Amino acid sequence: MSTRRRPAAPRSSSSGMTENEKKILGFIRSKQGMGATKYEITAGTSIQQALVTKATTSLKKSKLIKEVSNKGGKHFLAVEFEPCKELQGGDWYVDGALDVSMIEDLKEICVNILERLKQKVVTLEVICSCFQKASRDEYKLSRDQTKVILDNLVLDNVIMEVKSNGSSEHSALRIGEVWYKLIGKKSGGGEARDGAFASIPCGACPHIGLCTPDGAISPTTCVYYQKWLDF
Amino acid sequence: MTTTEFGIVYAVHIITSHFGSVASKVCECLLRRGPLSSREISRLAESDINHSKVKDILYLLIQHNCVQAFSIEPPDGSESKATVQYIALFSNILHRARYNKFSKVVNEELGSQCSGVLDGLLSNGRLTLEQLIDRDRDSKKQMGSEAIRDSLQKLVAARFVERVPSPEPVLGNKDEGPAQKKRGAKPSKIFKEPESLDERILEAATPVDAIRFPFIFEQGSSSTVADDDSNISEGKRKQPEVDYTSGPSNEVIWRPNFEELIRRLRHKACVEIVKERRDEGCANVMKAMLEVGRSQEKKAKTDKSVPMSMGSIYEELIKTDAGREMTQERVEACLEQLSATSSYLPAFVIESDGSYIVDFKSIISVAQKDEMESVVMRRYGKEAFRMFRYLSQEDRFVETDKIADAALTEKKDTPQILLKMWKDGYLHMQKLAVTGVYIPFLLWKVNKLIVSRQMLDEMYHASLNLSLRLTHETDSEKELLLLPMEKLEGALKERRNKYRAKSVLLTSARFKLDDAIMLFHDF
Repeated sequence: MSTRRRPAAPRSSSSGMTENEKKILGFIRSKQGMGATKYEITAGTSIQQALVTKATTSLKKSKLIKEVSNKGGKHFLAVEFEPCKELQGGDWYVDGALDVSMIEDLKEICVNILERLKQKVVTLEVICSCFQKASRDEYKLSRDQTKVILDNLVLDNVIMEVKSNGSSEHSALRIGEVWYKLIGKKSGGGEARDGAFASIPCGACPHIGLCTPDGAISPTTCVYYQKWLDF
Repeated sequence: MTTTEFGIVYAVHIITSHFGSVASKVCECLLRRGPLSSREISRLAESDINHSKVKDILYLLIQHNCVQAFSIEPPDGSESKATVQYIALFSNILHRARYNKFSKVVNEELGSQCSGVLDGLLSNGRLTLEQLIDRDRDSKKQMGSEAIRDSLQKLVAARFVERVPSPEPVLGNKDEGPAQKKRGAKPSKIFKEPESLDERILEAATPVDAIRFPFIFEQGSSSTVADDDSNISEGKRKQPEVDYTSGPSNEVIWRPNFEELIRRLRHKACVEIVKERRDEGCANVMKAMLEVGRSQEKKAKTDKSVPMSMGSIYEELIKTDAGREMTQERVEACLEQLSATSSYLPAFVIESDGSYIVDFKSIISVAQKDEMESVVMRRYGKEAFRMFRYLSQEDRFVETDKIADAALTEKKDTPQILLKMWKDGYLHMQKLAVTGVYIPFLLWKVNKLIVSRQMLDEMYHASLNLSLRLTHETDSEKELLLLPMEKLEGALKERRNKYRAKSVLLTSARFKLDDAIMLFHDF
């Protein structure tokens, strides 16, 4: 068996980096706070994947690049850059995790504002100004962030978005301007009905696809039915 | 909407419990394979049912309005005879589980005597006046022949009862143009191509309104022709010649008109939805609008009503006690409310040039959406609920990360939640491979038609399960149920009460679930 070694990759005399490492570092730096995945480096520099792996390991050892993990895989960033919002997850992420408790707090504040001002027409601006007066810094939301919270409450079916149609109720608004209103009893209006299907065991059953009249899962042996009919 | 797998299983279950297993086999054969001749049924039905038995069962199912016979005209020049084929009427089979709802509608509008007559028709399928009178003579609470005659007249006038359709309509063969196919149809309908074979058959079998809802008690009226094997389809083409008064054997046969009964239930559901989502005042206005436009509705599943003026709505409204409390100004405010749109509710009424149109489709869609979303909420949780609502709102393919951003859900968990809903058929998914990106993008969409179909199938399944569970509970307490209630004490009495509570819960759940089924299938 031959013991001949492969020729070493040419090293730059000044920085001690190979040509490949230099090229990869340049590519990663160009991506700034967004960084690049191994796949993107391979595609962007036309260097073979095995060599990219070797070079990124070496650059990491030399502390010229760092690694940030997110849902889309590992991203390599030059050390001088901080991961951008997209890489961290966005406005609502702290240390890579969604800040659910803060979101819930903010939603509650919105609901309270709408409840307090239920006799008035509440636009995005009104809610934004309420948030600007908040005592805690993290509650001082931008207009876009406030809109995201309100949109989320619309998706929760807690509030509704109404477009002004120029009627007397909306006299202070331009036609087509949006305002927000609570849904249901809190606003003195109607409420969505409880689904007839959702209120029986089969409506919530994750195994309904496996249930048959004489099968292993059947209405006569069903544990959910047993619980439901346990008087 | 075509029948789903559990729709068939549920329909077969209803037929089994009402007419036994042999009848259910014939019915299942028709539901699964479509129109068949009686010979084909006896050959294809799973167990060994001879031809004459098949015929008996078909007559039984026709009597109860679950099957319709028809034949197709042989092509021109062909010497072969048209074969009689049979088709199962899926909707009518399902109506069997909602007879008490129909009875309640008639009781509320026309009183108990009329609902008693309707009950007779519902339980016997189709009867003549003579048979209705005989039935009354044998009952404990006799109404008397005059009362029955009057009630029947009222029922026909209100279109709750109709004359039986043609026993065996002949359809033109497929090569013929629509104008030739429906020689007897009304001029306005001539160029309208019916969508499916079922609809073609039903349309061909249904006589014109003057024969379908005749003024039966006007002696000598030309519209009082008796029903035999041929005169109804003929009646579409020529003037009837036989008088109703010519004798009992030639009497007109009556049956419940499911189309009208379903229309009333649809209207009731619309009023209820408006009441829940708006208020009592809006519900009263809606009720009056439905009353004004009802006579103009051509079919039960109408999307929009005819336009109606403020004056006609108000005129109708003041006929009721609740309506009399409303000023015209208040009615105008209600109409404005009903025409308003928001992210929460679409417009229920469309205003155009000073007239108002009821948008049935949008009212029903609100209740359908409630049903779908509440299942998503219970089965997959709050995050999934937000994602589902977001995708329904967008009505296009959206990428996973965008959904997570809009629904404010953890990006790592979002694909799992979406995949769960996709596996159960609640979402549509597409993979998008992009050059330069290793992992393909996943795009998601709510396809309302597919979700409605999936929901409907699951609801049929659930209704079947409720019925099977009730049978199971009854079977397991069979001996206890034979004992008289007043003789039960202690633990036995307790068990009997528990059985009653279970039975009430299961029955009422099935009743409510049937309302939801109607939202998706009949309305």
